[in-house]
Amino acid sequence: MEETTFDCDLIHSIMKRIWTLRTLERENVATNDALESEVGAGSSKKNRTTSANASALKLTCELLRVFITEAVQRAVAIAEAEGDTQIEATHLESILPQLLLDF
Amino acid sequence: MEVNIFIARFDFPSIRSENQEKEMEAVGGSGSSEVENDLEMKLLRDRFRLSAISIAESQVSKNGMEVSKVVVACVADLAFKYTAHRNEHLSGLLRTFSNDLKVKDRQYERKRKKEVKKNDKTTI
Repeated sequence: MEETTFDCDLIHSIMKRIWTLRTLERENVATNDALESEVGAGSSKKNRTTSANASALKLTCELLRVFITEAVQRAVAIAEAEGDTQIEATHLESILPQLLLDF
Repeated sequence: MEVNIFIARFDFPSIRSENQEKEMEAVGGSGSSEVENDLEMKLLRDRFRLSAISIAESQVSKNGMEVSKVVVACVADLAFKYTAHRNEHLSGLLRTFSNDLKVKDRQYERKRKKEVKKNDKTTI
């Protein structure tokens, strides 16, 4: 049975949006700095938008899948230890700090 | 207390009130291009959520348990925020690493040229 995972194109679209926003923010900061120091803002290379190749995208999809799987599995372990058959918010809250530290 | 720190850090959606969400949307929505960007980002986020929810639910069903909708939605939102946050941190690290490599490369080139010049002088 195949593991359900994220669509690489979807993750790529999300990341491209985030990178574009960050690039625009950095360009605005660079422009403001250049205006203050009266030096030409010749930092176009530094402000180039980030990109990712196919392997990097596959790895990112897998990382996100593992993140969700790990969150669920840890919450399941807590729920089973407490004798519950349904995962509730309290189970998720108890595993959240360590999960965020681990990732 | 640790949970509160991490919830604040990642702006955990279940804690935010509906009014705060509306306020944030209103502030970020000035200008038609920004509105379009926001709409597109929401669409991507919804698609991401659907995938995340299906992954989470398949994992839960493998263990023969059930999960509340709130928990699944929270996990999906957390994964989405993780995508943005980790991405930013990683890109910063990679940029620093790349700049360090360039500096080292330039230093190495300078040393190499100096040595070539020295060798040329000694041979003459």
